[in-house]
Amino acid sequence: MVALLGTAAGIGAGVAARRWLDVVEVHGNSMAPSLLPGDRLVVECRSFSLRAPRAGEVVLARDPREPGRELIKRVFAVSDAGDAADLRGDAPDESTDSREFGAVPLSAIRWRAALRYWPPQRAGLL
Amino acid sequence: MLTLPSILRPTRRVHAHCDVPCGVYDPEQARIEAESCYRIIEKYHASTDEHFRQRCVVVKEARAEETKHHIDVMWHDYFKPEHVERYPDLHDVCWKASKAASKVKQSTDLEAAKELLGLIDRIDEMWKGTGGLGKTRLNGRPS
Repeated sequence: MVALLGTAAGIGAGVAARRWLDVVEVHGNSMAPSLLPGDRLVVECRSFSLRAPRAGEVVLARDPREPGRELIKRVFAVSDAGDAADLRGDAPDESTDSREFGAVPLSAIRWRAALRYWPPQRAGLL
Repeated sequence: MLTLPSILRPTRRVHAHCDVPCGVYDPEQARIEAESCYRIIEKYHASTDEHFRQRCVVVKEARAEETKHHIDVMWHDYFKPEHVERYPDLHDVCWKASKAASKVKQSTDLEAAKELLGLIDRIDEMWKGTGGLGKTRLNGRPS
């Protein structure tokens, strides 16, 4: 009975965690050398429900020019009004980012990239 | 059922996106169109044939519009904020070049065409100074 309850609690916790944790795969080169195509990351949406993104954090953002596409970029700066973020790729010559499409409203930024788990030799916190 | 492989399987792709990884840019495109305008204006003034002069105006207006387009491509697509830090008058020069192209489109003033060429040369300097020649052409400019 205890074991059954424990298993149920474990599954419950897993399902709950899954709501604010997710795993994604990186495509494209604009975050090289920090992130490379094929890298797999754990992303979480808990932080930005509590606070605004900070400069230096790697975030997922809805592409302002193509809402169906989700971008991964680094926060370069947050606007003075605190309502938009200047997003840049780590590889400036190979990145289309806020330098072209302007600052992105924070409402379009929900997920923070927390850690890389694949490939294992480059696994770790971001 | 939550298994380790199912948890670790990515649910979506995120894009470290770049529109065009190796954009080709060269202010020479604007310069060639502007030189065309310059020569057409010279020919316009040298001719007394009204039909020829009308053709000069039509062709010059089309070339001036092309010049403006190529200036805009440099301004909006090639130049980046770090280039503006390096050349604080970058926006001013591009803006003036765009205006000069409009003036060349409207008039048959050779001085306006000369001014436009001068401004395109300034864009050219900034392009070269920001690594354009090696970065945005396949093998630099043909010699």
